[in-house]
Amino acid sequence: MYARKGYELVKDLANGEKGQLQPFNEDLFNQVVDQCTQHYLELQALIRKMQEESVDVRETRNSDHYGALIHHLSLIRNKRCLMAYVHSRAEVIQNFAWKVGLELLELPEEIQEKLSPSEKNYFGKHSSALQSYMAEVGIDLNVDMVPPKDPYIKVRVLDDMGEGILLSDKTANLALHSMHFLKRTDAEQYIARVGLDGRAYRMTLKQGVSQTISMTMEFQM
Amino acid sequence: MATEESASVMDDYEMLISTTDVELLKRAWRNEKAAPEILQFESSLVQRIKEQIELAEQNEEIFEANNIEPLTVSLYQMDLDRTQFLLRSYLRVRLQKIEKYLFYVLKTDEYLNRLSKQEQMFARRCTDDLGSHLDETVLAKLPDNYRSILKQSITSEEDDMVPAPRLDTFVICKANQYLSGLDFEPDYSMEITEMERDLLTFVCYKFVKKPLENGKIDLV
Repeated sequence: MYARKGYELVKDLANGEKGQLQPFNEDLFNQVVDQCTQHYLELQALIRKMQEESVDVRETRNSDHYGALIHHLSLIRNKRCLMAYVHSRAEVIQNFAWKVGLELLELPEEIQEKLSPSEKNYFGKHSSALQSYMAEVGIDLNVDMVPPKDPYIKVRVLDDMGEGILLSDKTANLALHSMHFLKRTDAEQYIARVGLDGRAYRMTLKQGVSQTISMTMEFQM
Repeated sequence: MATEESASVMDDYEMLISTTDVELLKRAWRNEKAAPEILQFESSLVQRIKEQIELAEQNEEIFEANNIEPLTVSLYQMDLDRTQFLLRSYLRVRLQKIEKYLFYVLKTDEYLNRLSKQEQMFARRCTDDLGSHLDETVLAKLPDNYRSILKQSITSEEDDMVPAPRLDTFVICKANQYLSGLDFEPDYSMEITEMERDLLTFVCYKFVKKPLENGKIDLV
């Protein structure tokens, strides 16, 4: 009561790593919502009591008024906690659209499990809003996340992505552990997913001209 | 005498450099990245840059077809890539700022007017999406008087659930010319009275907001 559960919900959010999602805490969320309804019922009961005693509801400052005020304030605090929870998760989801990709199906399984159905819906709508903006402006905003240093980079495939992947000037067979000399813009869409994996790393060749960036399709969330 | 002449030659050179489109884009990009609020959209600049990029790409293809030395081709390619990066990053930073302060941007006409048409449409779509998401998950389950997205409850006097960009963050900036007290807002004349040219200053954003809009200051 009195927003203690709301506080737990927010703590749940804060305890997760920054930028990572926990599974949507359905139970706690519903408990907080139930408490909100309870507070509201109490609030109404107190106000009705004050009206029955034909006391001026807005002006008097008796114990009923203060009781009603406490219920109102806890209700608002619960609302803030709930909104903060949903809103921060929505922000993390917005970041996914930039970092991972715009297709819902491209999100790896582990992430999809943690989203509630409404959040998956939101992700889909948000990415289609982004896509329609990009289509109107005519520029693809998902490439070039990092300032370009070399037009071509040497990459090593960490996960088997199969044959016949179509790149801008040739088709490549991206088998496991093969090295390729690819155009930066092509390779980026695969490297973009590197950011989510704690194991990703860059190696510079000792000869020193190009950077080798490992491509990976595995995620740890 | 010679030093004065070379100083003025340097000045002319700087003037020349600073008026190329790429320099203007770089400047707009730097300012946008450093500022806590969204700045005016440079629509004509973006349009020109897009056309120049298209032209450069066509030149690229002509070079490749004519078998010009690969080094030259890759240098042009690098230049093209870098300009494209600037443009994309500029648009991206603006979109991310819109995402961050969604409801506030749509509420305040001043910010709404700084967006391009496509950005305005994007902002409206985003508010609808986020609004319906919040409604579905939270607000529909709350009692009647507490269902607004912008206000905590209907008894609130103003929209207190909308975060506003923090204008009192500190930024590093450099003046393009000598600025006297007249260039700053009169309210802040107690705090800041003048700024020397090319001196790096660490100052509260809201003090330099006005000269920034007039183009006299650059954020770093």
